[in-house]
Amino acid sequence: MTAANTAATPANTTLGAPPPARVRGRRKAFDWPTAAVVVVVVAILGILIIYPLASVFGQALSARGWEVVRSTLTDPVNRQIVVNTFVLGAVVGVLGTVLGFLLAYVQVKVAFTGKRWFHLLCLLPVVSPPFAAATAIITLIGRRGIITHGMLGLDTNIYGLPGLTIVLVMSFFPVAYMNFKGMLENLDPALDDASANLGASKWTTFWKVTLPMLVPGFAASFLLLFVEAIADLANPLVIGGDFTVLASRAYIAITGEYDIVAGSAYSLVLLMPALLVFVVQQYWVGRRSTVSVTGKPAGQKRLITHPSGRVPLLAFGVLVLSAIVLIYLTVIVGAFTKILGINNEFTLANFQYVLSGIGNESIKDTTLLALIATPIAGILGMLMAWLVVRKVKRGSGLLDFLGMLGLAVPGTVVGIGYAIAFNTPLRVQVGGTTYQLLPALGGGAAMFGGAVAIVMVYVIRSLPSGQRTGIAALQQIDPSIDEAAASLGAESTTVFRTVTLPLIRPAFLAGLIYAFARSMTTLSPIIFITTPQTQIMTKQILAEVDAGRFGNAFAFCTLLLIIVLSVMGLMSLLLRGRNDVRTQIGAGA
Amino acid sequence: MINKRVVGAVSAAAVMSLSVVGCAVDTSSTAGPGAGGAPADAKLTVACGAMEEICDAWTKGFAAKTGIPTNFVRLSSGETVARLGATKAAPEFDVWHGGPADGYGAAANQGLLEQYVPENAKDIPEKYKDANGYWTGVYVGVLGFCSNTKVLAEKGVGIPQSWDDLLDPLLKSQVSTAHPSTSGTAFTTLWTQVVRLGSEDAGLAFMAKLHNNVLQYTKSGTAPGQVAGRGEVAVGLVFSHDCVVYKERGMTDLEVSFPSEGTGFEVGGVAVVANGKNQQAARQYANWALTPEAQELGPTVGSYQLPTNPASRIDARMANLDDIVLVDYDFAKAAERKKDLTARFDAEIAAQPKE
Repeated sequence: MTAANTAATPANTTLGAPPPARVRGRRKAFDWPTAAVVVVVVAILGILIIYPLASVFGQALSARGWEVVRSTLTDPVNRQIVVNTFVLGAVVGVLGTVLGFLLAYVQVKVAFTGKRWFHLLCLLPVVSPPFAAATAIITLIGRRGIITHGMLGLDTNIYGLPGLTIVLVMSFFPVAYMNFKGMLENLDPALDDASANLGASKWTTFWKVTLPMLVPGFAASFLLLFVEAIADLANPLVIGGDFTVLASRAYIAITGEYDIVAGSAYSLVLLMPALLVFVVQQYWVGRRSTVSVTGKPAGQKRLITHPSGRVPLLAFGVLVLSAIVLIYLTVIVGAFTKILGINNEFTLANFQYVLSGIGNESIKDTTLLALIATPIAGILGMLMAWLVVRKVKRGSGLLDFLGMLGLAVPGTVVGIGYAIAFNTPLRVQVGGTTYQLLPALGGGAAMFGGAVAIVMVYVIRSLPSGQRTGIAALQQIDPSIDEAAASLGAESTTVFRTVTLPLIRPAFLAGLIYAFARSMTTLSPIIFITTPQTQIMTKQILAEVDAGRFGNAFAFCTLLLIIVLSVMGLMSLLLRGRNDVRTQIGAGA
Repeated sequence: MINKRVVGAVSAAAVMSLSVVGCAVDTSSTAGPGAGGAPADAKLTVACGAMEEICDAWTKGFAAKTGIPTNFVRLSSGETVARLGATKAAPEFDVWHGGPADGYGAAANQGLLEQYVPENAKDIPEKYKDANGYWTGVYVGVLGFCSNTKVLAEKGVGIPQSWDDLLDPLLKSQVSTAHPSTSGTAFTTLWTQVVRLGSEDAGLAFMAKLHNNVLQYTKSGTAPGQVAGRGEVAVGLVFSHDCVVYKERGMTDLEVSFPSEGTGFEVGGVAVVANGKNQQAARQYANWALTPEAQELGPTVGSYQLPTNPASRIDARMANLDDIVLVDYDFAKAAERKKDLTARFDAEIAAQPKE
C-alpha cells in the first residue's frame, strides 16, 4: 500500500501534510462500463421520479398554481406556514442529529455490555409505523396522558410544535445514529493513539480529532432530518394541532379542498428549503476531506472506561432508550387493551379484527412488495454513492440530487405524481403510429393490481438513505485503494464489486435495513396509489386511526414491528457472515 | 475518468433505453380492456368514502345479490376527487359510494361523474338529491355535541344543549372541532352558524367567540369525538353517529346531545363515474345502493347514519329526527361559498391568539 502520505489527513494543516490530492493516472480510454452504469441509473431515475414529478409540476406551474406559490410570500397565513416549516425542520434537524450522534458515540466508544440490545433499541423507531409514536405520546404525556395527567395531575398540552418536535426527533434520530455509528467505527484508532501520544486528553482528542472528522456526518444527518421533518405528513396531522406546515397544507389542499393544483404549488414551495439545504451541504461540507480508511493497519480500538466519561454518557443513553421502550411498550400494551388509559380491559379483539379478512391481505402484500423493493433500493443506493463520489466528475451533484429527490419531494406529491403518470399507459405518437413506452403501472386496472407502482414508490423513497450513508462512508475511504485496484488492471465495475462494496458494507447494510423499514412504514405517497387488489398496511392503520380505533391501530403496528424486526434480524445475520474486510486488508499489508 | 462526454451521452441514451421498452400499439385497442364488454364478465371497483366495515358490507351485499364481483378502495372525498381527476381518461373506479355530498359536487363540476338518476331515486326525498342528477343521497348524518360526562362533571358544567352553552368560560380549551378547510364536518358546523345567525359575518363572529374555548382545530372531522372520548376535552363537535360508535367501542363516558337552535347535517352520496368501463353494472350498483336492503346494512356494522330511503328501518341507536331541529341547509350555496369562507376563517379566526 502506498497510502502513507494521505493517512492522517483530517486536521492535517497542523501536520503540514498536503491534502489528499486524487492521483490521476495516465489518461485512460473512455470508461465504457461506468458510462453504461450511469446511463442505466439515470434512465431508472427518470422513470421513478422525474416523469411523475414533471406531471405534478405541470399543474403547479400553471397560472393558478403560480398564484398559490406567490401567496406563500404575500399572504400572512401562508407565510406563517412557511416559517413554521423552517422552524420545525431546523429544530428537529439539530436535536435529532445531536441525539443520534450521542447515542452512536456511546455505542461505539463507551465500554459496556449489551451493545447489541442498545443498537437494536436505537433502530426501533425506524420501524415505527406512522401514527404509532404520535398516538403513544398523546396517550402517555398528552392532556389526559397516563403519566402527565394520571400520575402527575397535570393538564399539559403537547399539540403543536412541542409534541411534534418530540415525536419527530424520536422517530428520525436513528438516521443520524446509523450515519454516525458507521463513521465512528470507520475512524482509524491510530489517530486517537497519535493524539494521546502527543499528550492530548480524551476530551481534546474528541474535540480536535474526532469531531472534525465527523463534519460530513453532521451535515448529512442534519440534511436528512431537516428534509424528513418538513416532509413528514402523518405526525403533523395527528399531533401538530394548529401548527400547520407546508406538507400538511399541501395534503389539506388535495384532500380537503380537492385542489391538486394548489397542493402541487405548496409542494413546490416545500421543495425550496430542501434544495437550499442540499446546496449548502454540497458546497460547504463537500469540500472537506475526511479520508481515514486508507488500507493502513488499524490500531487497537480504545473504549471509554473511566467513570467521569462513562457514567454520564451511559446514563444519558439509558434515559433515551427508556423513553423509546416506553413508547413501544405503549403500542404493544395498547394492542391488547380496549382503549389504553380510558378502558384498560385486556382484550384480543384487536388482533382478531386485524387478522381476519381486511388485515392479513395487507400484511402479505406489504411485506412482499417491501421485500422486492429493498434489494433494488439498496444496490441502487450504493451504485449512486459510488458514481457520485468516485466516478462522475461533471454533474455528480446533479446525479446525487436526482437520487435524493425521493426524499426531498414530499410523499403526497410523489403519490399524486404517480397517480397521474402511471395509472394510464405512457404513449407517444410519432407520425401515424402510437408507441407505448410504458404500460399502466399503477391503479386497479394495471398489471399485478398496481403493485409495480407501489414497488417503484418504495424504491424511490428508500433510495436516498442508502445513497447518503454510502456517500458518507465512501468519502472516508481513500481513493488510492480504488486506484491501486485499477492500476492492477481491474475494470471500474470490478473495483466497485470487489473493493468498494466490501468496504462500505456497514453502510450498505444500514441502507438495506432502512430501505425495508421505510418501505413497510411509508404512508403519504401510498394513499394515492393503493388499489383493491393491493392493500397496504400503513393505509389500513390510517383507516383505523381515522376511525378512532387506536386498539386496532396498535395491533397493526405491533404486527408491523414484528415483521420488520424479524426481517432486519435475518438481514443482519446473513450479511454479517463474512467478517470485517478492513481487518483483512490491514493484516495483508 | 468519466467526463462530460459521458454525462452528455447519458440523456440521449436514457431516452433510447426508454424506447427499448416501447412497442407499437394498435390504436383500436386503446380504449382499454373490457371496453364494451358484456355485463356477464363485468366487475366493479367502488371508491368508498365511508367506514371500512360498511364499505365491505355494501360491496359484499351487492356482489351476493347480483353475482357481479365487486371490490372497493376506501378513500376520503379529496383523495377520490384527486384520483378520479388523475385517471379521467381511463377511470379505475366505476362507482363512488359514501362520503359527503360536497365532494360529489366538486367531482361533478370537473366532469368526473355521469349524470345519472337511478330508478330508485324516486323514493328519496328531494332534499337528499342533487338537483342536476349527478348524485343521490344514501344516508344522512346529523351534527351534534359529543360530550365527555366525566370531564363535564369535573368542570361543573352540564351537558350542552345549545350552541351558546359552548361559549361558557368554564369550557376554556375544552371544545374540540376540526378545521373547516380540512373537514367537511367542521365546514358543516361553520355553515350551520351562518344559516342560523343569518349572515356570514354573524356566523364567523360566533366562531370567533368559540375560538377561545377551542383546544385545537383537528384535521380529521371525526377526531374531536376521540379527543373527547379520551377526556382531553369536554365536548367534541362531530356527526352524532360517530359519537355513538366511539361510545360503543369503549369510550363509555361519551354522551350525544343536539343544539336546540338547530343543527346542520350531511348527506352521503352515490354516483356513477363518468366513462367507466362497466357502466351498466355501475348503474345497477347505484340503483341498489338506494334500496332499503343496502341502507339497512349500516347498523349491522356500526354505521348509524340515517337512511335516506323512507322505507328503510330505523335503528334505535340512530339520531331521532323527531327530536332534532335541522337548519335549512343549502348544499349548493354552501359549496359555492366554501372557499371564501374557509379563507376568512383561516385569516380572521384560526390565526388569532386565544384570549
